[in-house]
Amino acid sequence: RRLLKQASVSVRFALWDRSWLSVMASRVLGRCVRSLSLSSVRLCLGGTAVRAAAAPLPSQRPFSLLSCSRKTRQVYQTEISSSVVQLCRRYGDQPPLTLGNIEDRVLYVLKLYDKVNPEQLTVTSHFIKDLGLDSLDQVEIIMAMEDEFGFEIPDVDAEKLMTPEDIVMYISDKKDVYE
Amino acid sequence: MASPLRGEVVRLYKNLLYLGREYPKGADYFRDRLKTAFLKNKDVTDPEKIKQLVARGEHVIKELEALYYLRKYRAMKQRYYEETKN
Repeated sequence: RRLLKQASVSVRFALWDRSWLSVMASRVLGRCVRSLSLSSVRLCLGGTAVRAAAAPLPSQRPFSLLSCSRKTRQVYQTEISSSVVQLCRRYGDQPPLTLGNIEDRVLYVLKLYDKVNPEQLTVTSHFIKDLGLDSLDQVEIIMAMEDEFGFEIPDVDAEKLMTPEDIVMYISDKKDVYE
Repeated sequence: MASPLRGEVVRLYKNLLYLGREYPKGADYFRDRLKTAFLKNKDVTDPEKIKQLVARGEHVIKELEALYYLRKYRAMKQRYYEETKN
């Protein structure tokens, strides 16, 4: 019986070595493929080591990163996803929309529209009553807004948008901008 | 103003504007012409007459599409077949 115990201990040590190997492998992998910051890899490494030390059953010892405990992987994945999101923000996406941002763009488009007098233009000025446009001009303005913000405004909604403020509120509603 | 055909007219105007962006003489030229054409009939209130005018607008859309197809066809022909003739 003692012999058995010794054997199991040695097996455990062997697996311990293996898990370290896998940790090293994961470290190299992480560095090569994802070129993450070292801190996140270290975090994963710590998690794996802790898991390896605390594992009660040697037979379920992790052999590669893929079979790591769920907890470790979660930590790893959140690390990756957060850094990737940051990267995407920086390179691919437009700057996030805010209310002020939308308002600036709406007013900018209106100023470029040749029939609008930029001096009369305010956020609350009514297109037909204050700016002297007709309903066809209003349709054109809505089309320009569709181009600017890259989504289609249905006719039912479009005929209600009569001031720059309306347009800003509508767009922020559709784009889930609240603050 | 609140005519049930209003949406129809607005939709027609929008479609024509979209098509007019590629008009050979320029989008601004097309837009001015389109605007005057629409404003010329702004006092029409008879639904039958409006329907007739909308149908005319649809016809113009078809004409425009045909014009663009022809232009494209000509450009293709010029690019691929003119050389072999000479």
